[in-house]
Amino acid sequence: MTLLTHELRLLLRSRMALLALLLVALLAAASVAAGMAEVARQRDVIARIQPKQAQDMAAVAQWAAETKDPGTAAYYSFHATWDTPSPLAFAALGLRDVAPYILRVRALGLEAQLYDGEAFNPELALPGRFDFSFVLVYLTPLFVIALFHDLVSGEREAGRLRMLDALTGSGRSLWRRRVLLRGGLLFLALAAPLTIGAIQSAVPLPTLLSVQGLVALYLAFWIGVTLLVGRMRWSSVANAATLAGIWLVLTLILPTIAHVAINRLIPVGEGVELTLAQREAVNRAWDIPRADTMRAFYAGHPEWKDSPPLTDAFHYKWYFAFHQVGDESVAPKVAAYRNGIEARDTAARGIGWLLPSVGVQAALTRLANTDMAAQLAYQDRIRAFHEKLRNFYYRYLFTDTPFEKDDFDRAPTFVGGA
Amino acid sequence: MNAITLIARDELRLMRRNRVTVIAFALLTLLTLAAALISWSHQSGIAETRARFQAQAAQEFTAQPDRHPHRMVHFGNFIFRPLPLLAAFDPGVDAFTGNSMFLEGHRQNSANFGDVRQSSLLVRFGQLTPAFVLQVIAPLLLVFLGYGAVARERERGTLRQMLVQGVSARALLLGKLLALAIVAALVGLPALAAFLLIAGQPGALAGPMAVMVLGYGAYLALWSIIVILVSALVRRGRDALLALLALWTVLVILLPRVAPDIAAQTHMLPTRLETDIAIQQDLHRLGDAHNPDDPFFTAFRQKVLRHYGVDRIEDLPVNYNGLLAVEGEKLTSRLFDDYAKRSFTVQQAQSRLTDDFGIISPAIALRRLSMAAAGTDLEGHRRFLAQAEAYRYAMVQQLNQLQADTVRYADDKAKDAGADQRKRISADHWQTIPQFRFKPATTGDLVEASLPGLGLLLAWLAFALLALLPVARILQKARA
Repeated sequence: MTLLTHELRLLLRSRMALLALLLVALLAAASVAAGMAEVARQRDVIARIQPKQAQDMAAVAQWAAETKDPGTAAYYSFHATWDTPSPLAFAALGLRDVAPYILRVRALGLEAQLYDGEAFNPELALPGRFDFSFVLVYLTPLFVIALFHDLVSGEREAGRLRMLDALTGSGRSLWRRRVLLRGGLLFLALAAPLTIGAIQSAVPLPTLLSVQGLVALYLAFWIGVTLLVGRMRWSSVANAATLAGIWLVLTLILPTIAHVAINRLIPVGEGVELTLAQREAVNRAWDIPRADTMRAFYAGHPEWKDSPPLTDAFHYKWYFAFHQVGDESVAPKVAAYRNGIEARDTAARGIGWLLPSVGVQAALTRLANTDMAAQLAYQDRIRAFHEKLRNFYYRYLFTDTPFEKDDFDRAPTFVGGA
Repeated sequence: MNAITLIARDELRLMRRNRVTVIAFALLTLLTLAAALISWSHQSGIAETRARFQAQAAQEFTAQPDRHPHRMVHFGNFIFRPLPLLAAFDPGVDAFTGNSMFLEGHRQNSANFGDVRQSSLLVRFGQLTPAFVLQVIAPLLLVFLGYGAVARERERGTLRQMLVQGVSARALLLGKLLALAIVAALVGLPALAAFLLIAGQPGALAGPMAVMVLGYGAYLALWSIIVILVSALVRRGRDALLALLALWTVLVILLPRVAPDIAAQTHMLPTRLETDIAIQQDLHRLGDAHNPDDPFFTAFRQKVLRHYGVDRIEDLPVNYNGLLAVEGEKLTSRLFDDYAKRSFTVQQAQSRLTDDFGIISPAIALRRLSMAAAGTDLEGHRRFLAQAEAYRYAMVQQLNQLQADTVRYADDKAKDAGADQRKRISADHWQTIPQFRFKPATTGDLVEASLPGLGLLLAWLAFALLALLPVARILQKARA
C-alpha cells in the first residue's frame, strides 16, 4: 500500500500526467452533462407536445363530431407517437439526433407516413454529438497513449531503467503497479462522472455495470496496445508517433472504409421504391372497380366482409380499404428494405469485433437503446399502434356506427415505452 | 544559395532518408487517392440512382389515366435532390438530409430516405472523402513529420551551434517552415489532381473551386506554421509531439463536436408535430372550410359571384370548387412558407453559432468554406427545399385551375353512378405540367457563401505568420 501511495505521489508530481487525468475527468463530466441536457430536452419536448396534441384532437372533434361520420373522424385525426429516451441514452445519443422520436400518424396508408423525418439542422448532425461515447471511443485512447507511451522508455531515457531493474523485489511488480495505477486512475476519471450521471438518470445497476465493464475493457485494449508497442524498445517519441498512427487507423480510417464497403455491398434502394409503388397502388384504386378493392380487402380481413355493400355514393370504408390494400401490396418491398438496413447493421456489428472503436460504439448504443435496432423497434411500435387505430375506426366504418363526440376519447392512445 | 533554402533542403533530405516518414507520406497519398476514387464512384452512384428514380417518377406522373384533377393533386409528384458536382470532393450534409420528397396538395412533407437513417452506425464515424482526408488527417501527418524540426536541433545541441555560426533564428524557422510547407503542398497534390479531374467535368464552376483550392492551401500552410511554432517553443521533441497531438485533437476532433451541441441547446427548433398543429390552428383562425357560414369563405364566395356578375355559384362559368381549391392552397402555402422561414431562421442561427467557433478552430472555418463552396451545406439543402415548395405550389395550382376550368360544377357535385366518369379530364393534361428542374446555385452564390470561412482562415494564417517573429526572437536568445 505504501508503495502504491508512493507511486501515486510520483505520478501526480508529473505535471503532464496530472493534467491528462484532470482533462479526462473534465471531458467525461462535460460529455455526461451535455448528454443529460440533450436527453432532458427530448423528454421536455415529448411532455410539451401532449397538451398541444390533445388540443388539436379536441379541435378536430369539435367540427368532425357533427358529421357523425367515422371516416371523417379517422381521416382528420392525427395520433401522436413518441420514443422516450432510455435512462442511459445520455451516454450515447446514437441516432436520436437524426431519427424522429416523435411521429404523428393517422389511420391512412402507413407506408406513406412511417419514413417521415423530423426537422433538424443537418450541419449540427454532421460531426456527431459530444456525448460520453465520443469521449470514450475517440479521446480516451489518446490519453492512454499520453500516459503510457513512455512508461518504460521514459525511465530508459532518464537513465533509471537499469537501476529499477536491478532493485531487488521490483522488476515486474513495479511495472504492474504502475500500469494498474495509471489505468485505475484513468478508469476513475471516466467512470466517476458516468456513474454520477447514471445514478441521476436512474440507470439500472446491471446496465451501469455493463457500461463500466465496457469502459474497463476498452481501456485495457488500448493499454495493451501501448504496452506492446513499448516492448519494441523504441524511443518515447517513436512510441507516441506509432501509437497515434494506430489510433488514427483504428478509429478514423478503417471505420470510414468499412462504411463505404458495407453500403456498396448491401444496397437499400427499396426505400424509395416502396413509397413509389405504394402511391401507385393506392391511387390506382380510383381507376379500377371499387368492388375489386373491397374483394382484395375482405380477403385479408374477413372479419369485415359482412359489411353492407357499397352504393354509388362515396363511402370512407372503401377509401380506407384501398389505403390498407396499398400498404399490403408493398409488404415484400417493406421487408426487403428492412432486411437491407438490418443487414448493414449486422455487418457493422461484425466489424465491431475487429475494430474496438466500432465495437464499443455499437455496444454502448445498444445498451442505451439509441441504435438502429432501437429505431426499428420504434417503427414496430408505430406499426402496432397504427394497426390498433385502423381496427378502432373500422369497427365504426364497416358497421356504419355513428361516430359520436365521446368516441374521439375512446381512440387508442400510444403507450410510449422507455 | 541563402540560409533559408539550405536549411529547407537539409530538412527535406533528412525526411527523405527517414523510412517512417516516407511510408507515412506514401500511405497518406494512397489514402487521398482511394478517398477520391471511392467518393467519386459513390457520388456518381447516388447521382445515377436519383436520376433514375426521378425519371421513373416523372414517367409515372404522365402515365396516369383520365382523372379528376384533384386526384392528381393527391397523386402528387416525387422529386429528388440532384448532387452538385463538387459533392464528390466534399459531400457535406448530403448523407444527413433526406434526398427525396413527396409533393402533394395542402401538405408539406419532409425530405426522406437520407443515408444516415438507412446506414449502419459507421456513418457517424465520418465519410472517407478527399475533404475528410485533407481536413482531419493531413494536419496529423504534418504534425508527425514536423514536430521535431526545431526541437530536435535543440535537443542535440545543433541549434546553439547554428546560431553561434551566425544563422539567424528567423532564417532557421523559415527554412524549416519552407521544408514542411513543401511537404504540405505534396500532401495536397493528389487531392488537387482529383479536384482537377472534377473540374474537367461539364458544369464545374471555376469560382468556388478556386476558393476551395485557396482555402485548403491556407489550411495546410497554417498547420505547417503551427507545427514549426510549437516545435520551436517546446523544449523536448516528445513534448512537442504531445502538445501538437493535443492541439490537433482539440481543434480538429473536439471543437467541431462541442460547437454543434452548444448551438443545438442555444437555439431550439420546434418539432414537426408542433409546426403542423400551429399551421392547422392558424388555418382555422383564417377561415374554417368545414363551416358553411364561415366569414372568410362567405366573403370569398361573394367576391367571386360579384366578379362574374351572377347570384348563384351554380351559374358561374367556372367550377367554384376549383376556385376554392386555389384559394385554399394559397392560404396553406403562405403558412408553409412562413413556418419554413422561421425554422430556417433558427437553423441558420445554429449554424452561425457553430461557424463562430471557427475563430478558435481553423478546422471549423475550413469545413464551412468547403461545404459552402461545394454547395453541400445547409444552404444547399434549403435551396432544394425552397425550390421543391415553389414547384409543389405551381403544380398544385395548375391542377386546381384545371379543376376550375375543365370540370363542370354540376358534375363535381353529382353523386350518381355516371358522375365519376364525367368528373374526369383527359390524361393529356398531365403532360402540360412541367417536370421539376433543380436550379443549382450560381458561382456568385457559392463564392459569396464561402467567403466568411476563407476570411477566418486567412486571418488565422496571418496571425500565425506574425507569431513567427516573436518566436524567432525567443529562439535567438537560446544562444545565450
